[in-house]
Amino acid sequence: MKQSLAAHKTTISVVAFIVLVALYPLVFSGSYLVGIGITAGALAAGAVGFVLLLGYAHQLAVGQAGFCMVGGYSSAILCVHYGWDPFLALLFGVALSMLVAYPIAAPILKLRGYVLVMGSLAFQLILVVAAFELHFTGGALGTYGVPRFAILGWTMGSDWLYFYFVWACVLVTIAIGLNIDRSRIGRALKAIAVSENTAGSVGIDTVRYKVQMFVISAGMASLSGSLFVHFLRAMDPTVFGFAFSLNLVIAVIIGGLMSIWGGAVGATIVTALREGLRGLALPMWESVIMGGLTVFVLVVFQRGVAGNLSVWFDRWAGRQAKGAVSVVAPAGVELPRVDIEQGATVLEVKNVSRSFGSLRAVRDVSFTVEAGSITALIGPNGAGKTTLFNLIGGYQPLNEGAISFVGKRIDELIPNQIAELGIGRTFQNLQLFDNMTVLENVMCGRHRLHETGIVSISANLAAARKEEQESREAALRCLEFVGLRGAESLPATELSFGHMRLVEVARALAMRPSVLLMDEPASGLNDTETEQLAELILQISALGITILLVEHDMRLVMGLADKVVVMHHGQKIADGPPDQVRADRDVIAAYLGTEAHETAA
Amino acid sequence: MQEFQLLAQLVLPGLTTGCVYALIALGFVLCFNVSGVVNMAQGEYVMLGGVLGAWMVIVGVPLAVALIAATAAGAILGIVQERLTLAPVRRSPAFIQITVTLGVAVILRGIALIIFGKDPLAMPGFSGDGGFAMLGAMLPVQALWVWGTTALMLLGIFWFLQYTDAGRAVRACSINLVAARLMGVNAERMTMMVFALAGGTGALAGAVITPIVLDSWDAGFVCSLKGFIGAILGGLRSPIIAVVGGLGVGIAESLAAGYVSSGWKDAIVYGLLLAFLLIRGGVFLSGRVGLVAGTSDR
Repeated sequence: MKQSLAAHKTTISVVAFIVLVALYPLVFSGSYLVGIGITAGALAAGAVGFVLLLGYAHQLAVGQAGFCMVGGYSSAILCVHYGWDPFLALLFGVALSMLVAYPIAAPILKLRGYVLVMGSLAFQLILVVAAFELHFTGGALGTYGVPRFAILGWTMGSDWLYFYFVWACVLVTIAIGLNIDRSRIGRALKAIAVSENTAGSVGIDTVRYKVQMFVISAGMASLSGSLFVHFLRAMDPTVFGFAFSLNLVIAVIIGGLMSIWGGAVGATIVTALREGLRGLALPMWESVIMGGLTVFVLVVFQRGVAGNLSVWFDRWAGRQAKGAVSVVAPAGVELPRVDIEQGATVLEVKNVSRSFGSLRAVRDVSFTVEAGSITALIGPNGAGKTTLFNLIGGYQPLNEGAISFVGKRIDELIPNQIAELGIGRTFQNLQLFDNMTVLENVMCGRHRLHETGIVSISANLAAARKEEQESREAALRCLEFVGLRGAESLPATELSFGHMRLVEVARALAMRPSVLLMDEPASGLNDTETEQLAELILQISALGITILLVEHDMRLVMGLADKVVVMHHGQKIADGPPDQVRADRDVIAAYLGTEAHETAA
Repeated sequence: MQEFQLLAQLVLPGLTTGCVYALIALGFVLCFNVSGVVNMAQGEYVMLGGVLGAWMVIVGVPLAVALIAATAAGAILGIVQERLTLAPVRRSPAFIQITVTLGVAVILRGIALIIFGKDPLAMPGFSGDGGFAMLGAMLPVQALWVWGTTALMLLGIFWFLQYTDAGRAVRACSINLVAARLMGVNAERMTMMVFALAGGTGALAGAVITPIVLDSWDAGFVCSLKGFIGAILGGLRSPIIAVVGGLGVGIAESLAAGYVSSGWKDAIVYGLLLAFLLIRGGVFLSGRVGLVAGTSDR
């Protein structure tokens, strides 16, 4: 019973939401209390958008309330001066905000952290000044006589009706938020939050989704502005000033910035608290209490109210029970084979150099990787292997030389563009997304294969659902392939180190890569695990996937590799089949350090 | 000649408010370089110093005592803010830390509102409310106090940074925090010190400027934003550029008010900030690593 409840957490939340909203006007009658409900709802619509921006995209664009002004003035001016239908004016405001937000998003989001806070606030305050000074906004007096809300001529005669409409709008914003949350875009944003590098390694564009969240939250802010204005029946420049921005931030923090519901919960709490203080004749205390709560929540429990409710619910329903992982051994699962002409050169590193200051980490290195082969890059510590690997993966720019993938230059590309081409990688120090389950981690690998965009995901269209289902199945097959079937719903951090490494491999395999770069896959593994890993690498190779690995473990390298490239002091000193390399004098000198070392230097 | 007189009449008062922005900007730079946090509550200390000083003078506390008390209050609150709210979240993502300082700003505004009320407080000039002429412009005598106090504080801070062990440690932290810690610099103590310094100087600046501009509970945030503009001109790195930038912001807003319109002056200053940020955008990509080194992205 509890288990099945846990599986339907979202459904339960939606039902609870609808019941609470439906009952509110029945329990709290009287226009004052209904008015408070409307205020809370209007704030909630904007707050949900702010959750997407702050909690998901981690962009503290405090000035987002500027878009509430765009919505508020659109509604007020169009309805009062041009006689528009309020519903159409509201839609116009939303569209206008999103249109304005789109071109400015990329440059604004280039600013990070504190600079973004100040930059976006500057934007908002400029709008406030403009509203004061310009003629068509009505200046400091504002625009009065905004009509009651109406949809295509049908006027909402009572506050009750408007209350329901406002909260229906909130439900729409929540639905959009939830759809994004459980989609590949939600996973992409969570991945970016953990590490932009790792997100890039599976082909996630780190700018694009932030821009999308900025635009969506601008639309929701505009909606919030319009809803407020039809309740206040007037609009002036002070309505959505700095204080409102702060309110929005506080609502989101208290409600829970990592949870879509957090916006609605927080807006309700903040509004109720303010009205409560007014009721107690303590309105002056509002600022101190709100600020204090914000700091308290951030310092003590960052998940906020909604986030903690969710955790408690899971715990109560036993969803997070730490069951033993019954790891099944690789059972000959078939993954799709890679179509690439065996033996052709897939990866060519040509005269590549990279310096850090006066340290020349990689000096004029050239080698090729043939399709279908297992190529190992070895060398003593500090030989420049990892640097070279990072150059191939696009994590650092080269100083000189060229890197090509099936004949095309890739050395100008950034990590996610390289991953897009089908070059997967695993990391030496595990880089799992610790805010996701095992399955979600692997599903992130599918990112580059997805085609549905933000619109069909927000609306949860059939195409998006189908793709999500395919993605889930494919990710499960990858988990099965590495022998981790059964662990899919565990948080990625609860696995053993060896299993985490397998998750990383599964995530890279989910990309359907043609080339897999593995950075010291055996580091931190015990002997048994290393043997299993070797077996797995052979199986991956059997799929036609070309493998390039950096490794310290000589047994692994000599047993697996078709070709070994040896580096020392940033230079390539040998290159060939394992047996030949093992006998090479320079290689022996580099590893054992005879006088040959000195003569070579 | 008249044009020059107008210019002086705009630039000199601009320079006076610019002094406050310059001290805030310097506070930003010091706190940021040592702790990696941009303290959004920086301007609130100015506001608090102003209302506290004004209130004490109004209730009859001697001026000197009021000034010392305001400065001490700013310094102590700075330490309290750092210990209670920033130390616990040092390992959290940057946007959480910024939000915490924003929360503190809200609390400080609220405290001022409760204690000193909604109405702006006025304070008599330290040596009367008379005026004097300079380069053809008429200025309140209090401007001399502002300039003098600011100059003294700046000299003091730069002397501290340049010639004391603690000051050298602060500079070391700002160049390379990890290396500074390895050399035995106690970064926690340095952090408290700069927060106290920023809070104290901000509060004193607020108290000194209040006879000219009035002060009320909601004045702090605008000060933060304008001081921030000064600080960002030097990439939040250079104390000197921050001071010059802060003075420049004061002059720019005064000129904008005089030659364009007083209504648009803020929009013009913020517009300049936005333009500057957007043009230089990429420069700030690599944020400063705070007390706890995170993973460094490309």
